[in-house]
Amino acid sequence: MFSEEVVINDLLSRVQKPARYLGNEWNSCLKDHSSVSAKMVFAFPDLYEVGMSNQGLKILYHSVNLHDDLLMERVFAPASDMENLLRENKLPLFALESKKPLSVFDVIGFSLQYELSYTNVLNMLDLAGLPLYSDNRSMDYPLVIGGGPCAYNPEPLAPFFDLFILGEAEEILPELLSELGRLKKTVSSKKDLLLQLSTCKGVYVPSFYQPLYKQGMLTEIKKLETQAPDAVKKCFIALLDEAPYPTSPVVPYIQAVHDRAVVELFRGCARGCRFCQAGYIFRPVRKRSMDRILQLSESLIQGTGYDEISLSSLSSTDYPSIDELVKEMDKVLSPGRVKCSLPSLRLDSYSVELADTLHHGKRSSLTFAPEAATERLRKVIRKNISEEEIFSALGDAVDAGWQGFKLYFMIGLPTETNDDVEAILTLCQKIRHSFKRRARGSIAISVSVSTFIPKAHTPFQWEPQLELSIVKERQEILRSGFNNMRGVDYSWHDSQASYLEAVFARGDRRLSLALEKAVQAGCRFDGWSEHFSFQRWQQAFNQANLKMEDYAYRRFEYQDCLPWDHLDCLTEKEVFIEEHKKAIGHNRDQESNK
Amino acid sequence: MSRIRFTFTRDILLAYISHLDMLRLFIRALRRSNLPLEYSQGYSPHPRFTLALPLPLGVTAGQEFGEVYFSETIEPGFFIEKLAFQLPKGLELTNAFLVSTEAPSIAALVRAASYRAKLKETSPDDGKISYIKESLEKLLSKEEIVMKRTNKKKKIVSTNVRPFIKKAEICYEKITGLELMLELEAGSQGGISPVFFLEQLQGEAPAEMPGLHEWQIHREKLIFTDNPLSASD
Ligand code: SF4
Repeated sequence: MFSEEVVINDLLSRVQKPARYLGNEWNSCLKDHSSVSAKMVFAFPDLYEVGMSNQGLKILYHSVNLHDDLLMERVFAPASDMENLLRENKLPLFALESKKPLSVFDVIGFSLQYELSYTNVLNMLDLAGLPLYSDNRSMDYPLVIGGGPCAYNPEPLAPFFDLFILGEAEEILPELLSELGRLKKTVSSKKDLLLQLSTCKGVYVPSFYQPLYKQGMLTEIKKLETQAPDAVKKCFIALLDEAPYPTSPVVPYIQAVHDRAVVELFRGCARGCRFCQAGYIFRPVRKRSMDRILQLSESLIQGTGYDEISLSSLSSTDYPSIDELVKEMDKVLSPGRVKCSLPSLRLDSYSVELADTLHHGKRSSLTFAPEAATERLRKVIRKNISEEEIFSALGDAVDAGWQGFKLYFMIGLPTETNDDVEAILTLCQKIRHSFKRRARGSIAISVSVSTFIPKAHTPFQWEPQLELSIVKERQEILRSGFNNMRGVDYSWHDSQASYLEAVFARGDRRLSLALEKAVQAGCRFDGWSEHFSFQRWQQAFNQANLKMEDYAYRRFEYQDCLPWDHLDCLTEKEVFIEEHKKAIGHNRDQESNK
Repeated sequence: MSRIRFTFTRDILLAYISHLDMLRLFIRALRRSNLPLEYSQGYSPHPRFTLALPLPLGVTAGQEFGEVYFSETIEPGFFIEKLAFQLPKGLELTNAFLVSTEAPSIAALVRAASYRAKLKETSPDDGKISYIKESLEKLLSKEEIVMKRTNKKKKIVSTNVRPFIKKAEICYEKITGLELMLELEAGSQGGISPVFFLEQLQGEAPAEMPGLHEWQIHREKLIFTDNPLSASD
């Protein structure tokens, strides 16, 4: 096996954005490989700029490297020019810090953020020179592990991985690595190793569970090893104040998608929108104390030199004493001339006011996500906000001098009709008309519309995705409608990419074959429209003898066995059923009122 | 208020980041150093910091210039000590001195730069060497070398850049390999980059000519209209 450092200087002069592969950034951590008991490389299956914006990477990099006898390095999906050079020169994929090939690490840990990065995962394993299937990798190979939101239904990836970590890993990952370092000296088979590890919190070893099918339907997930838990429970941080938090994260040379310091206010979200997986898997809501936030912010700015800090969480305006926090932040940050920003705003007057205190300078545009344009549909998804509230919030924003809004909607939500879609047009029209006179200058609206994707561990997990042809019809309604509306900029998500995402989001283990075929056919970076080829995917599914529609359009019954039934996000199935019934109930009420 | 001019080197570790990346890197390092930066006025104030001349991607450097304003007087020695501590491997501060806040900006003083473009291949064959010699002669014998650029108004403008080539000599020794010694005009009055020069050289020769990535370019020093130290306080 290749074990020397990869000499990259010659490659750098031949690729776009060579800084993606440099390493050596401020705060990056290069340790001596011989001085530690376990070595892990964090693998992000997308470009450097995307991966370096991921907060999970920063947290885990910090929490592992905190320990003298552990090390973590980083690797990102190489862009196609770099991939070609590596393949031509028969060089293995390397970690940024040491430039050592991935195969010298004890663990390769993938961050699974979105389904459309799965082909990159397999491609990276291949570029690292590892056999794709876990079965074909002996103990001499690194363990391939995964975590992140997609680990809550990782079944399409199951045969390629040795284990997944379910939940928040900053506490258990260092423990797991230390344990691995110890076990590697004593156990003699990979199976024994995995058996020992399967008893750690949050650890899911897919090879210890076997899905059984009858007439093509999943009927049971059979546990094969008595030692393994019946259902793997997610792990989570109980006390956020005591959890490790990176105040000296790696500062990239090239601009990352989010290039600023990030302080996390709280984890979880109490709003309970029914389509939202993050809202469920990050339960319960845990708050960081104001003192701790202020202290972290100060060290973050000192440790990075950033001039902007984002107050991050799933719904930051829900932080209990947010206005007080913002005031205190100002005291801490103003000597260093640091701006403070809120990533996600709730659509209400309070949030607009808050945005206003934070914002100095030109008021270009505010972002909101009403998700649906009719009150009925908003009730179905539990985004409980009335039209009146929307208009009063937007009105306040206009009065404060904001000159534009960015609005996010979804189409294809359960119970949606063409009327709900047309209501998006009507709402935008109404916004433009109502504020025409109040605004100094015209209001610019940009509307971004995505397609609903039913996700595991949500009340909508049983629902099918809306048929592709109807999605296209509804996108057309919007496209032609907005075409005739001045001052509105409309953008939409590729319907076929969303369809594929739906296939994998609720997929089972059989999909692994289609995935393998797709990678062989050259699929990479499927989340990037310039790389996505639906045709290649269709071929891959044909070769694997599988049908995409069986997955995307599947309506599960409550009593059906779900591919992720053995993975426990700590919300009872009954809660999901109840929420699902309530959602669909809103629809019935409406029908009977007609 | 005070103004410090400083010199630094860039080695191969950091050669592959862009000019904008360099600016960001220095500004963040300065912010971490807690030195009392002077900010510009306006909606989004930024530290008053400049680099004399952008370094092209992939180019190492022996003596680059930058300058920065502080709200108080800062001792050059103290400046170096504080900032050096915040710079990544690959950048090294070599000198710093106070200059008058009234003096013209360092960027306005740049007239030219000298480069060494070294063929990475250490022992090129005789054929290759004579190809390079020939095409260099041909290029230099031209009266006009046209560079096309789109300007701010999206119009294509052509400039004759032949006069910007002040010196271009070839140097070959068995031990060190083949190098081109260049002096190219640069700065606000116009100029060309060594990358453009090598592209032109390639255009003159058959396919056997080494490709761009086969050269390692080093900027030895910047050449100024005035001594950049002469305006010292
Ligand atoms: S969509 Fe936003 S507000 Fe709703 S549950 Fe998810 S994170 Fe919370």
